[in-house]
Amino acid sequence: MNDPRNSDVLLECRGIDKNYNGPMVLSGVDFALTRGEIHALVGENGAGKSTLIKIVTGVTNRNAGSISFDGHDIPQEHSKNAAEKLGIAVIYQELSLIHGMSVAQNIYLTKEPLLSGLPIIDINKMNTMAQEMIDRYGFDLKATDVIDNLPIAQRQTVEILKALSNKASLMIMDEPTSSLTSTESAQLFKIIRLLKSEGISVLYISHRMEEVFALSDRVTVLRDGRKVAVLEKEQISPAEIIRLMIGRILTDNESHHQMVKKDGEVVLEVDKLCSEGKLKDVSFSVRRGEVLGFGGLVGSGRTELMRAIYGIDPFDSGTITYLGKPYVPTVEKSIAGGYGFVPEERRLQGIMGGISITGNIGIANLDTISSKAGFVSGAKELERAQKAIALLNVKPARPEVLVGNLSGGNQQKVVVGKWLIRDLKLLIVDEPTVGVDIGAKEEMYQTIERLSQAGVAVIVVSSDLPELTRLSDRIIVLRKGRVIKEFVEGAVSEEDVLRAASGLVEGGAQ
Amino acid sequence: MSVSAIRRLILIGLLIAIGIALSIANPSFLTVDNLMTLLQEASLTGIVAIGFTLILITAGIDMSIGAVIAITSMICINFISYTQLPAYIYIPIALAMGCAIGWVNGFFITHFKLPEFIVTLATRGILAGLALIAAVKDSQGFVKNVFIQDEVFLAFGETVGPVYIVTIVFFVLAFCTQFFLKRTRAGTNVYATGANPTAARLSGINTDRTLIGVYMFSGFCAALTSIFLSARMMTAMPEFGIGSEMDVIASVIIGGTPFTGGVGDIWGTVIGTLFLALIKNGILKLGLSPYIQPIVIGGIIVVVVVLDVWYKDFAEKRAARSARQKQMQSKEGV
Repeated sequence: MNDPRNSDVLLECRGIDKNYNGPMVLSGVDFALTRGEIHALVGENGAGKSTLIKIVTGVTNRNAGSISFDGHDIPQEHSKNAAEKLGIAVIYQELSLIHGMSVAQNIYLTKEPLLSGLPIIDINKMNTMAQEMIDRYGFDLKATDVIDNLPIAQRQTVEILKALSNKASLMIMDEPTSSLTSTESAQLFKIIRLLKSEGISVLYISHRMEEVFALSDRVTVLRDGRKVAVLEKEQISPAEIIRLMIGRILTDNESHHQMVKKDGEVVLEVDKLCSEGKLKDVSFSVRRGEVLGFGGLVGSGRTELMRAIYGIDPFDSGTITYLGKPYVPTVEKSIAGGYGFVPEERRLQGIMGGISITGNIGIANLDTISSKAGFVSGAKELERAQKAIALLNVKPARPEVLVGNLSGGNQQKVVVGKWLIRDLKLLIVDEPTVGVDIGAKEEMYQTIERLSQAGVAVIVVSSDLPELTRLSDRIIVLRKGRVIKEFVEGAVSEEDVLRAASGLVEGGAQ
Repeated sequence: MSVSAIRRLILIGLLIAIGIALSIANPSFLTVDNLMTLLQEASLTGIVAIGFTLILITAGIDMSIGAVIAITSMICINFISYTQLPAYIYIPIALAMGCAIGWVNGFFITHFKLPEFIVTLATRGILAGLALIAAVKDSQGFVKNVFIQDEVFLAFGETVGPVYIVTIVFFVLAFCTQFFLKRTRAGTNVYATGANPTAARLSGINTDRTLIGVYMFSGFCAALTSIFLSARMMTAMPEFGIGSEMDVIASVIIGGTPFTGGVGDIWGTVIGTLFLALIKNGILKLGLSPYIQPIVIGGIIVVVVVLDVWYKDFAEKRAARSARQKQMQSKEGV
């Protein structure tokens, strides 16, 4: 208790209880955060991280316990506005900027500088103020840039600037790197350290362990609604956190993953695929039982390539051979021919949230569950859904549950599940574990491994380097729409892939 | 130059070209008299279109505007027929009625989270029926054609020099609304509410209040139009304004405010309104049947929307490409 940092506590929660008319989501959670520290909050999905954040930010009210922030006691009836006034800011996972407006307009939304004594916005002053703030922190942005034209990483920077303009003393970041590339994440870490040096505290939530280790001064671990431990900087270790989080030890794959050559028959062969502005002369093949990984930065053409070979987007030239025959893909033909496709953006492209698990699985299997006349058999549909649920261990295992109410990991299982019950020959998965907790991630890996052992050719696209190196039998790295490097047999490390993706092979930086 | 600026220039160019073509085809087009009548027509549609533009910026729709014109003109005609109250009393009452209807629309949309289309379609039906009931009837129960003799009221149909008052009011209202949208916090809130309501709420914007305000303004604009329309016609009929939604929507769409929300401005609507009035006037001046007007307007809407979608797609691809390049460059800089 004589830790000097205690004298400078910014946020202190004591004995927080919360239940949403049911089981306890949080029970007796103590949590303290000091000024200018980077504090990671970790735990599996459902451990209570989001609920704790919601209580601190006034989105929901606690049932018991006390909270003080910056010397103020926060009453039980807390509100978002009150939290903001106190200086608590959230950098939202789903970006919350207004499209069509400039950087400056977004930063000063609802608090635009006015001409003196008039209710009229002083646009020049607003732009100057925004630019001054941007320059002070050394960001690569223009105050007059329109949000729509900025890449995601820069939009996040605008969110941070918005919080800074609110004089936030605590910034809460929930999975801030989930849609960033490695380089962009590194940029964000720089910004977070900069915030720390300005005396701003950062509460950081992430499933990516390596980020937690790289950034945090302290780590609080939650499990099943209880605080399990607070680790000081020198105590932080990957194995320890994971053990505390899940109460069991995951087999730690060595960072140098050994890749094995597979020699099954070729399932898909792509030759010199070109698509204006997206892909240039991309050639590769994938064999039965092989997991082919695609690495590269966001915008390198990985997703575009997958969409082209699945038949969503047309391409300009090149040939595709599928199961030994020339193939011009369309989505309908691909599905009938044994493809499965797990898209990048689960919520937008993968699931229909307002429809049950049964319905989501049925929609991709209409050919097998309906009669020739086109009538759907409810019994067959339900049977398929139950099969998929059992295969992938979807929780809750109730086919009638709306998919929108499932956790991220279980939603992803449904997306994969609708393909698994088919006669699958080729499965394409694009960023399979974004926003998925560690346990579900592991299950996803096991599913992919099981499929490849059963002879399915799997193509994995991932920005998560440990994931890519762990899963793949072979890795192709794309850069600016071209194949820049192929790692075949033997050892490959995350650095190798990253260096290739960022153009550090083939004679250094261009 | 921005996409919308180019679009606007093309529209102005077309406006001038059609104007020149018409003045060659029929010398009576380019007379002060005809041009002022054209502007008067444009202004009657335009005032409603200004309110409707704000609705579209919030990604909403207001189907009740025509019926608001009908009911407010019936309110006025009842005051004129049955009371001795002066115009400066019942006109504000009629305008307040427009706002009140807008408030009801906004209240149902925000409070019960109902779709805008359904709510305003329902109020449209109710108001159109009420207008018929409220109409002044003769002894046999038929709607009576009341000639307005109230000079103060009729003054709304007059001119200042050669320019109709309604035209002046239209341009002043357009200027003020544009200024409101671009230079006040409340105006910014309108855009934010339409572009991303969740983000707007997270930023502390009271989106419900913004929406209610926008629907009230739309109701106000429709009520204002009804005064000018009745004054011009020197009478009021319960079917006034019914069906005018078509022209209003066409004007706003031609002006470049899309249905998707978050985008648009009043100058576009002003140009769109002038464009539409010019086309309608042109059809008459070319001696074509007035019955083809709605067909032409419908056709123009389709063409404009197709071009807009096509161009937006093109512009987005271009923006995506430049964003990619920018990203690549910043990577290489590392």
